[in-house]
Amino acid sequence: MGCEYPTEDYKIQSFDQDTQMLLKTALKDPGSVNLEKVSNIIIDQSLKDQMFSKEAGRICYTIVQAEAKQNNGSVFRRNLLNRLQQEFKNREEMRKCSLQEWVCFVTFICNVFDYLKVNNMPMLALVHPVFDCLMRLAQPDALLNEAEVRIDPPYKEKALFSNYRTDPLTFLLQVDCLVLQLHRIGEQLENANRPRMDELFFQLRDGFLLQEGLGSMSRLLLLELLEFRAGGWSLSSTADKYYYSEIAE
Amino acid sequence: MSGRTQDSRSDTRHDQQGNGRYGSSRWTHCRKRGVDGMLRTDRECEERENTKYSDNRNSSFTTPESTGPVSRCSERRTDWGSQVEDDEMRRGVQRDMQRYRRRILGAEGAHRERKASSGSSGSCDSREGDNMETDETVLLRRQKQINYGKNTLAYDRYIKEVPKHMRQPGVHPKTPNKFRKYSRRSWDQQIKLWKVKLHAWDPPAEEGQDGATDSIDELGLDDIMDIELDFPVLSDPSCAPASVNVHRISVEEEDCSGTPVKVQKTESAAELEMS
Repeated sequence: MGCEYPTEDYKIQSFDQDTQMLLKTALKDPGSVNLEKVSNIIIDQSLKDQMFSKEAGRICYTIVQAEAKQNNGSVFRRNLLNRLQQEFKNREEMRKCSLQEWVCFVTFICNVFDYLKVNNMPMLALVHPVFDCLMRLAQPDALLNEAEVRIDPPYKEKALFSNYRTDPLTFLLQVDCLVLQLHRIGEQLENANRPRMDELFFQLRDGFLLQEGLGSMSRLLLLELLEFRAGGWSLSSTADKYYYSEIAE
Repeated sequence: MSGRTQDSRSDTRHDQQGNGRYGSSRWTHCRKRGVDGMLRTDRECEERENTKYSDNRNSSFTTPESTGPVSRCSERRTDWGSQVEDDEMRRGVQRDMQRYRRRILGAEGAHRERKASSGSSGSCDSREGDNMETDETVLLRRQKQINYGKNTLAYDRYIKEVPKHMRQPGVHPKTPNKFRKYSRRSWDQQIKLWKVKLHAWDPPAEEGQDGATDSIDELGLDDIMDIELDFPVLSDPSCAPASVNVHRISVEEEDCSGTPVKVQKTESAAELEMS
């Protein structure tokens, strides 16, 4: 599929010169570089940089396509997925060490799930792991985690809840990640495994209804998710207005 | 339990290798790419041999077993990379199957329309409609064997040097049709013959001691026998009897139309024999 993006779109400006060169070569002539190294660079950066993890699936997609076209190979994908699996196995540890890294990981794996396809279908191997990650984000300790973390300004895509008294630059890291991921890949995930999506939403509903001490932000985010899925993975214009419009003060 | 078969198999492997350390290279030295996707060197080949049974081997780079009841296809591999590859192959085979069905249906329709006209080329598909291999395990196993043959420098050279329309049945290697019903034995034999034919496109051996040893070792016992038997009897080997035969036939049967029929007959006979 001739989706060629200009290199600026891959958000690789934050890498040093050598690494940028390596990545650019990997995009054009994947056979000439060490693709295991390339996959590790991409994952390492994704775990550090939330901005990058949100769009890293795209660069992965392009390298996978280029390699398949060049020599029918899948070395990059194999290394990428196996490293991802390694991180996945280690996720509880990672979560304890750094919430930020854990959220970056979930963002990345979901983005890879979104971009990389096998014969135009989602990769089945990732369906359960992705659900596991999202389930983890929907557990009470994650929902209740009010330790709001400051994030760089560009993270703010929509002026989400700017009408609230909260500082617009602080977010509920985990719940917000959950919302973003379900917006992006919720429908695909449901098509891949409906019972697991039901399971996830039972948990979200219970969290919304039964969890004591749930912050008002979390409540609103969860409510929005429930409405989003109920509306067939889209929000009506009135709902969109309700959740996202900036009300002039 | 399966450990025993595994053992005995690796024993034979060693035996084959016994008479020379390049014994197995006939099938491995022309492998295009290793697991890392880079072109393989001879030194790497030996290392690969050792890691062959480790978990991260790439399916398409590993020799599928052509004998013995052990099926690797049904084995569930647990690393994501391999899972996605298996998934990809399964979907590829399913897609091929749909295409093949459509082609058969199309051919059958066309066949019915102009039934009177002479047997068209490639009409062999039409009778296959309800005689098609649909067992996924079988198809996957066959696909793996085909992939293995295609992952060679020889295959690359072949498809480059001989464009599709130039290929002649019987002369050029033709990938066996995985959707036809064949016995296991027949299929494996077809694969074997196909790969032997492909070896004609092996890249010329590189200079150096390895190349020299290889080319000697690559002459199997049969080849040597042929040479030794043919040589003393006829000064002009192999060609002579054939040309005599042709001459005799053309003299006996004035209209030569019989010849192509004969060729076809022998072919279909061979096919029957195999299946």
